[in-house]
Amino acid sequence: MATRRGFLAGMASLTLPGLGWADVGSPAWLAAAKSGEDFVLHGLGPDGASLFSIPLPARGHAAAAHPSRPVAVAFARRPGTFALVLDCFTGAELHRLTPPEGRQFNGHGAWSRDGAVLMTSEVVAETSAGRIGLWEAETYARIGEWDSGGIGPHDIKLLADGSLVVANGGIATDPGDRTMLNIDTMRPNLARLSMQGELLEMAELEADLHQNSIRHLALVGGGVGFAMQWQGDLADPVPLLGRWTPGSAPQLFDADPAGILVMKGYAGSIAANGDQIAISSPRGGAVLVYGTDGTPLATHRRADVCGLAPLDGGFAASDGAGGLWQISGGRIAELPQRHSGIAWDNHMVTIG
Amino acid sequence: MSRLSFAALVLATLGASFGPGPARADMDQAVRGVIIPAYAGFARAAAALNDEVTAQFDSSGTCNPEALRPAYNKAFDAWMSVSWLHFGPSEDEGRGLAIRFWPDPKGLGAKAQRALLIGDPANLQPEKFAVQSVAARGLTGLERLLYPGAEPEADPCPLIRATTTDMAALADALVQGWGESADAPGFARALLQPGSEAPGSEESPRYRNQTEALQALFTQLMGGLEFIADQRLGRPLGSDDKPRPERAEARASGRATRNISLELQSIRRLVAGLEPGAEATLQALDRAISEAGRLNEPQMAGVSDPARRKQILLLQRYVRAARATALSEMAPALGVGLGFNSQDGD
Repeated sequence: MATRRGFLAGMASLTLPGLGWADVGSPAWLAAAKSGEDFVLHGLGPDGASLFSIPLPARGHAAAAHPSRPVAVAFARRPGTFALVLDCFTGAELHRLTPPEGRQFNGHGAWSRDGAVLMTSEVVAETSAGRIGLWEAETYARIGEWDSGGIGPHDIKLLADGSLVVANGGIATDPGDRTMLNIDTMRPNLARLSMQGELLEMAELEADLHQNSIRHLALVGGGVGFAMQWQGDLADPVPLLGRWTPGSAPQLFDADPAGILVMKGYAGSIAANGDQIAISSPRGGAVLVYGTDGTPLATHRRADVCGLAPLDGGFAASDGAGGLWQISGGRIAELPQRHSGIAWDNHMVTIG
Repeated sequence: MSRLSFAALVLATLGASFGPGPARADMDQAVRGVIIPAYAGFARAAAALNDEVTAQFDSSGTCNPEALRPAYNKAFDAWMSVSWLHFGPSEDEGRGLAIRFWPDPKGLGAKAQRALLIGDPANLQPEKFAVQSVAARGLTGLERLLYPGAEPEADPCPLIRATTTDMAALADALVQGWGESADAPGFARALLQPGSEAPGSEESPRYRNQTEALQALFTQLMGGLEFIADQRLGRPLGSDDKPRPERAEARASGRATRNISLELQSIRRLVAGLEPGAEATLQALDRAISEAGRLNEPQMAGVSDPARRKQILLLQRYVRAARATALSEMAPALGVGLGFNSQDGD
């Protein structure tokens, strides 16, 4: 990194090796946003206050927070040509990750438990074949890649047992834009990979749901909750949320038309907290809350809502009009610290 | 750019230059002058249909499905004035879906309704019927019973009565839900006094400010026009090499174009109430309304006939043009837009 700012930032992180998230105010979440005409990444406290904001060169999607150091990796939207490693203490861009020739970032990433390796969801641009890119977390050199076990991987999550679950969305897209190429034949899956990149296990949906793209994940018990986006007829009430515990078949949650059609076939984010799982739909302007056993608990309405994260006994949610919300006990209320002139992007990423 | 859409754009620009800003929007007229009376009208029509069923039972101990058709069509007509409003009380508890469940590509409604027709009569009691699948109830359910394609497997009259009773209750719940009475402040308050919390509520206001309330209403308008173009017209149109007349709505009752006409007129009333200066939008809607009035496609059979198909495609284009005009003319005037996340998923 040749810029003076980058050099100084590099020095700062070298000279202050003990910095942790507490040194940047103990933010609860990372959230990308559009502020006026600029794109930024915010660190947000649990009351909604912005503890830091770092400019992004373009619209962000998700981020990955280092497990101990105040370092965030911000991913561009699909098809992504960059990911930024940001020092949340100085605001400096520490590194700019560029996928190898012919690869594209796909919006999400995860850290190894010790924080030594960053894993990124990627596709081979020409075919949308999934890859998990591996980067070591000191110099951010590319150290390898794994087959993701499917087409068009999106979210990835590390399980407590140290294996990695990949949401292979199943959609092949044109490398130049986001045109979908294989809607008739798509087959999403959940793949579980070892830390050596071996495919340990794969779960698929029933054939009549092959157009239900599995895209986002939240840790639930020893497995994941998974949120889907339906590419079939939107008049079909199909499940948009399921739960997968490795070693068993995926379990799909209630799709009663009166509840699920509100979502317009689209779950944009997922979060889990204790015995509850929530999914959001910016298209339907709604958050559905379920029990982890699949019982529908509540529907909350909020235009353009998407970001979701656990908060206290329930959830936090963010929307495209700058609103930050607390959902608990069947109610939705605004967080105390308010923002204006800002549009929160798809995800709230929990730190720690 | 076609000549028409260019003209629309010019008109839109002129319209927007008059003095834009949310201050011009007349939410009060939209809510009190258009929406609430429309819900009241549906509640009256749903009650009248139910009264007629009750009167038939009182006099004969059964019903005459064919004789109920006029009252049924009046209720359906009245519903088309609010059919496209998918927020507030009609979205809560799936009420709007329970009144009109369409489209239903998997035939969920027919399956669920058959179970009710031949199943335990206890499920027809109002409190039990109210928790049956939304796909089996309302106008859609009634159409199958009043315009049966084949001899029913069982006497349909008890189910007809349960369905009209349920629909009248749903209609009342919608009116109550919008209501403005001091002890039960309804959804009208959320739109008319955005940002103020309802007395006794622990929730944040549904809309934080006037812009959000206008945004919500504008979203309904956009969604209503999209639904006409993509679903009411788009489903039966299918593709040029594969028209799908069997996908038309309300074929049995022959209401396919009537529903479109009535819904367009209702959307126009809302626009005229909310933003009377939206001249280009009103003109674009008028053009679509007049084209819909010229169509005589009660079953949309014409989608398979080249000449008639052209007319149906023309209507679809006019409806889409009206949506585009509303977006370019009204959105800036109201200070609203399309959603940041909802337009750009991942």
